[in-house]
Order: sequence, then structure tokens, then C-alpha cells
Amino acid sequence: MKLAVDQIGEVGVAVVPVDELDASNASEFKRDITPVVESNSKLVLDMSRLHFVDSSGLGVILSCLRQLSAKGGDLKLCCMSKQVRAAFELVRMHRIFDIYPNRDEAIRAFES
Amino acid sequence: MERKHVLPKLEHSLEALSASSVEDSIRRHVKYSLAKPWRDVSSNDLFMAVALSVRDLLTERMLETEEYVRAEDLKTLSYISIEFLIGRLLTNNLYNLRAFELYRQACTNLGIDLDAVEQAEGDAALGNGGLGRLAACFLDSLATLDMPAYGYGINYEYGLFKQDIDDGYQQEKPENWLAERSPWEIGRAEEACLVPVYGHIEHALDRDGGYNPMWMGWKVLIGVPYDVLVSGYGGRVVNILRLYSARSSTDLDMRIFNDGDYFKAVEQKIASETISKVLYPSDAVTAGRELRLVQEYFLAACAIRDTVRRFERNHNDYRQFPEKIAIQLNDTHPALAIAELMRILVDEKALEWWDAWEITRATFAFTNHTLVPEGLERWPVPLLQRVIPRHLQIIYEINGRFLEHVSSVLPRDPGLLKRVSLIEESKPQQVRMTNLSMVGSHSINGVSAIHTGLIKTLLAPDLYKLWPERFNNKTNGITPRRWLLKANPELASLVTATIGEGWITDLGELRKLEGHVEDAGFRDEFRKAKASNKVELARIVHETVRVKVDPDSLFDVQVKRIHSYKRQLLNVLHIVDEYLALVEDGRRPAVPRTHVFAGKAAPGYWKAKQIIKLIHEVGRTINNDSHAQEWIRVVFLPDYRVSLAEKIFPAVDLGEQISTAGMEASGTSNMKMTLNGGITIGTLDGANIEIREEVGEDNFFIFGHQAQELLEMRTLHSYRPRDYYERDPRIRRIVDAFGDNLFCPSDPGLFQWIVDDLLSANDEYFHLADLPSYLDAQEKVSAAYCDRDRWTSMSILNVARVGRFSSDRVVAEYAREIWNLKPV
Repeated sequence: MKLAVDQIGEVGVAVVPVDELDASNASEFKRDITPVVESNSKLVLDMSRLHFVDSSGLGVILSCLRQLSAKGGDLKLCCMSKQVRAAFELVRMHRIFDIYPNRDEAIRAFES
Repeated sequence: MERKHVLPKLEHSLEALSASSVEDSIRRHVKYSLAKPWRDVSSNDLFMAVALSVRDLLTERMLETEEYVRAEDLKTLSYISIEFLIGRLLTNNLYNLRAFELYRQACTNLGIDLDAVEQAEGDAALGNGGLGRLAACFLDSLATLDMPAYGYGINYEYGLFKQDIDDGYQQEKPENWLAERSPWEIGRAEEACLVPVYGHIEHALDRDGGYNPMWMGWKVLIGVPYDVLVSGYGGRVVNILRLYSARSSTDLDMRIFNDGDYFKAVEQKIASETISKVLYPSDAVTAGRELRLVQEYFLAACAIRDTVRRFERNHNDYRQFPEKIAIQLNDTHPALAIAELMRILVDEKALEWWDAWEITRATFAFTNHTLVPEGLERWPVPLLQRVIPRHLQIIYEINGRFLEHVSSVLPRDPGLLKRVSLIEESKPQQVRMTNLSMVGSHSINGVSAIHTGLIKTLLAPDLYKLWPERFNNKTNGITPRRWLLKANPELASLVTATIGEGWITDLGELRKLEGHVEDAGFRDEFRKAKASNKVELARIVHETVRVKVDPDSLFDVQVKRIHSYKRQLLNVLHIVDEYLALVEDGRRPAVPRTHVFAGKAAPGYWKAKQIIKLIHEVGRTINNDSHAQEWIRVVFLPDYRVSLAEKIFPAVDLGEQISTAGMEASGTSNMKMTLNGGITIGTLDGANIEIREEVGEDNFFIFGHQAQELLEMRTLHSYRPRDYYERDPRIRRIVDAFGDNLFCPSDPGLFQWIVDDLLSANDEYFHLADLPSYLDAQEKVSAAYCDRDRWTSMSILNVARVGRFSSDRVVAEYAREIWNLKPV
């Protein structure tokens, strides 16, 4: 899975590169996002391409947050579609993630 | 608020309809919907084309109804039931649209026999019996009363099994009723629901440091709705019955490139789609069956999500939810809807628990349909933990807060908390769905006066003490459109010709028939209608089971699910008594009788299946006995279903409603038979009590112990059936007939279980205790039937006084007293 990662100051911004993050590709995503997580302590996940996520996909995103939190870092999410937001709400993950409507706000949130 | 516009009555919209426009519509559907040339149409094609033509009419008004309800922001009802026993729809829809004659004419012009078209329609058997049929009658009445409502159910691919009989034994065959290919169903893939299931809870803290349980590791089911349009009689609205089919979320095509995953994906797809594959063929609890639990959860989740979606079209403030939405739980099968709504409000909409709980309780209402212990659903906690872990958490939270409340308001009582708890402390723990339903609802009703009384005193006395205002009675009812107008056109025409057609939507109008009970002309026509129906049933009997029955004999009918508490066995004991008196004592019955049985046994219910075998063997013996066959005939009609019931009820002289008192919550075949002029022989059970009050004691044959008496006998262990056997030679002779293999000479011992049940196992359902009074009552029946004039008067008065048992009446009560629902 080819991950596009931008560096905006101290903040890494990675785009989830698929339309659907589910059991069929969650492991692959985890494998490819792990080095990004390891090399950043402030990371924004851009979800603009994503329109479906199942529990496997949510699990990978959650594990990214945990990894970053464990080393004092943080993960913020942005550009979430309505369906993906609904999945987060179903699981109550929206209560533990900071979610922003766009990249800029997510990046600015790290600065404040 | 002044309504912007008014939906006209359906018939006014259909005034422009003509025979030729109907013909065009049918031809168009053959050509464009079925893509067939006219010359190649089969009878099934004709049914499809005619049905699609009718559906067009319903669709127009459904769209208008939806638009109107939405624009006026009317309160709506979500009626959730795991069963809807709707039967055939074509003729019912034509009657409701008042277009039956028009379509008959159009079909005739096209060279089509509309009756044959009707016969080509399969019954939609999405239910086992009374509960499912009640739901269907309710939908009819809701639409007739112009109430905006949605039915929610499961789109079972295989409905209740087809019953074949082989050598007297029930054989179950799959009933593939068409499901998504039915012309009545409109698929709505774009409104599919995503339903998570299985998984586990991960315990975490949210951003504010509060406990945040996260439901992870679930798999997704997709609920695809299929809408069946529900018309009412001459009403303004056409409502929707939304039936959900289950689909897997995994796209099979994506797996094709990887052999290892391919089969797993197929297995997962099959497992997911199994959820709506088959209706569980039992009206008893399917204890521990995971698939059934998933079915119930799937239904609840889809129904609630769709209801929430509708609410959110016009609203975003959830405090208004109970003002705009009423939800009725038809028994406990959809009870998980309470936990699902709480989950949505608390987890997704971030409401505080107490606000969410107030909203939920104000929205939900619960109907209990049974008191028998095996009918009260419980689910093992470990199973719920595995299947719906978040809902289990919510149920525990509900329970914790509920028990706290109980402790604070009710006096100290050592066993109280254990009794009322939603959690039964057995091994493993079980969730009591009845308690969940009651705690989560603002209204709890039984379905007959006696049943509601027993709910208060036996089933839930502690909850009644806590919340007496929640408990109320709503005696069941039936739709007069299907059960008289459609099923019995001769009688319906006579009634209309005599008192006008107001009875069709106001069944109380039948009271006017009392003024005609002495009218010779009316009586004559009334008898003719009954005779004609009996001739027709006799024809069906001969066609089906090759037994000739005399239409002039007394048609003594018991048609319902086969179950011990309904006591088909008691009926057989009477028949055996009749037979033995004839062949051994030379005592002819006062009147020749044809005993008609029908009904299905749950596949795993051995005793019920043995009853079916018993009826066949008793029938075989008697029907082939030259000394008896002129006086007694016994027939069992296979594959009892709605369309067969429509043929049977109009032909009933005597309806058997003989359950052990205290066990039948209501019954509805009692009402259907009465509506068609059948006279009841029955115990004081369920709605029998209220029917007897309405029709008059002189027009009802009562027998048997009352519920309270039997309860005392059980409590004191004072019932000794062997005493009846030993003291009464008549009873002894009947019981010995089974032990002596009179009805199974080539299979000795086949019916020994009956002797054992009645004598050694203490006759759990009090057959012998009630047998003497039952036999006496049957003699009174025979004497009354011999007096033709008296019987006719009784029959007319039964029809005249049955008006209270219309489903229009009870639905209006629900709307007024529980749902606060207003007509369009």
C-alpha cells in the first residue's frame, strides 16, 4: 500500500490511500503505517479518500493512537466522511480521537 | 396546526380507473415487467402482472402518504414483530381498494379468471400462528384507520414449513414463498442498514478521563429492506411493511484472487445470509439458538436505525423523539430494540444516560402474548457477550439502575431484587427479556382481560406494584375485511344488503342484525350462506384428503397450532367417546358430526406430532367403520395456512376453543369463527370470556374448570387424574381404548404415551378434570343443533354481537391510550 506522507513542520500528515479499510486490507495498512507512526510523534491521518471502514480498519487506527500515546505523541484525524464518522460513533471511538473537518485545522491543533 | 392539504380517500383517487385502463396496465406489465409475449403467459405470469398492476395503485398513494406524513411532521408508529403472517395479498388489496369488481371485469375481458389468478399466489407464511397473524391484522387496521405506521420484520426466504402428511405423520418441507421476487416487494438497497455483530469490548478512557467502552472486532451485516405496501379499507393511507434481508458486507469478488480467503469469504457470506433465510418454526422459545438471537438482534437494529433515520429527516433534538415516534414491541422477540436505542442515544448521539433512558421509556410499549414459562424468552449471558457485547453492557447498566430504584421505593423483601432483576442468577446467568421489555416500556399490555389480570398477579406482580399505571389490557381483534368480507362473500353480501356496508369499517354495526334475527327471509339466506360454505369446505376436504363428508352434518372444527395446552387431545377424547358409545352401546349421536382438524406442530415437538398421528389413526378407524361413518367423520387438513383458514372459518358450525384455562392468552380463531356464525364450545380462557360476555351465555357452550381453580389444584398438588379414571367408567373406557390399541392395531403401544400422560404423568393440562363437563357440553351442542331454529338464532346472534373483536377497535385503543397517534 503506497502511503503518501507530507511533513508539515513537526507534524506528519499521512493519507489513508484506500476507499475501504476492512478485513481485506487492514493488515497491509498496518504494516505500511507502522514505520510512519514510529518516525513521528505528531501525526495527522487524512481520511478524505476513505468511505468505508469496518472493525478491522478501526482497530488499526486505534492501535496507531495507542502506539503514539505510549511514546508521548498523538494522532489526530481529519476529512472524515459521514459513513466513516458513523462507524467511529458506533464504536465510541469519536470520544477518544480528535477529529477535524480539514488538514489545516488538524495541524493547527498540534500547535495549540 | 392547520393541515396544508388533505389526502383524499383512496376510492376517490381511483374514480378515474376503468376496466380498459386496468386491462392496459396488465398487458403492459406482461410486456415490460415480465418481458413476455401475451400468448406465452403462464398462470404465475398472470398473477405477477395483475399484482404489479395493483401495486401501481398502491404505490401512488404510498408516495402521497409518505410525502404528507413528512410534510406535516406527523407522529408515526414503528410496529416491530419477528412474524407477520400476511397470507395472500392480491384479493385483500383489491377489496381494500374497492376495485375487486373492476379487476374481475378487466380480467374477464382479457380472458383471465381472477379466481384462478388468486389461487396462483402463494401464502406469505412469515409467521407461525396467532402472534404473526395479529401483526398482519393490525397493519390492515392501522391503514384503515388512517394511522401513519411502519411495520418492521424479517424477509424470511423460507417461511413456515409446508406440512405434508405421510402415513399420519407430519413431514416438513421448505416453503419458498418468493421472498424478494414477490411482486409485492419493493427492494430498497439504497436504504440498507449496517449492523455490527459479535466482537468484544475494549475498555478505555475518553478525552475527559471518563470510562469509554469501545465495541471492536465486530463483523458487519447489511440489512436490505424490502417494502410491502399495506392498504386499508377505503382509507387515505397506504403504509409500509419493511422486511429486512440479511447480506454479508464482504464483497465476494475481492476474494477471488486469493484461494485461501475465497472459501472463507463464501462461508462468511453464507453465514451472514442465513440470518434471514428461515423463520424459526416454533412459537416456543428457541432456547440457546444463536441464529435466533442474531435474527432478533438484526431485526431490532434495522428497525431502530430506520426509525432514527426517519426521525432525523425533520429533527435533530432527541428530546422530541417520543413525541414523534411510538414503538410497539410485539412480544419480547424485538426487545433488544430497547438496548439498541439506548446505545444509539448514548454512544452515537452522546446523550446523558438518564436523558436517553427517559426518551427510550417514553417511546417503547410492550405487548405480552404468553404466560407459559417456555414462552418467556431468556438468553444466556455468555451468548449475548459473544454476539452483542455492547448491548449486554447496556442491559447490565439498565438493570443496575433499575434495582437501585426498586430498593429505594419498595419495602424490603429478601427475594424482591432477585425476582425483578433483568438477570436471572442461574448457571449460566440469563437475561430475562420479559423483564427488559417491561422495564424499558411506558406501557405493558396483555391481550385479553384474564390474561392481563394474570400478568399483574402471576407474571409480574412486583412490577405491577411498582408501576401499576403502566399495565393495561388490550383485548385482541381481527380484521373484518379479510375474515368476513373476503373469506365469506355470501354472508358479507347478506349482511350488507340487510344493514348497509358500514360494518366493514365499524364492526359494531353488526348489532343491527339483532333486529333481523326473527326475520324468516334473513334466516333463510343466513342458513343458505352457511350451507354453501360447508359444501365448499366439503369439496376441499374431498379434494385434499379424499374423505367424503356430509355438508348437513355438524362441522365441529379445531384449527390452530398443535400444542398440549390447546388440548387437541381433549377433542379426540370426545370423539372416541362418541364412537365407542355408537359401536359398543348402539347409541347413535343426536346429530352426525364432521370433526375437522388442522394445524402444524413445531418440528421438534414430539408430542404435538403424535397428536397429528393420533387424529389420523382415529379418523382412519372411524371413517372406515361402516357402523360409524354415517354419523362421525374425522378429517385432518394438511398445511394449515391463512388461505386455508379463509375457507374453513365460514363453514364452521361449532368452534373448539378448549385450552386449559389460564394458558391461552387470547386466541383469535375464536373471533374469526364467531364472525362467520360459528358457535363456540370453550373454557373460560383468553378472549373466550369476553366473547361469551358479548354474545350472551345462551349463545356459547361453556365447560371446564376456571383458571383460578386449576392454579389452586396445582399449588396444592390436589389433582389426581387417576381418580377420574377409576371412578368414571365412561372416562375409563376412553382412556383404555388407547392402551388397548383400538386405533393402532398394527402398531401396538403407539398411543400408550397418552395413557401414561393422563394417568402417570399427572395430566399436566387437566384433560380428565375437564372431560366430564366437556362431554356434557357436547351433548348440549348436539341437542341445540337438532333444533334448527334455535341454532340459527344462536348463530346470528354470535355474528351480531362480535363487533368488539374487530382489530379496528383495539388498534384505535392502542393509538389513543398508548401511542398517542393521530390519524392522517
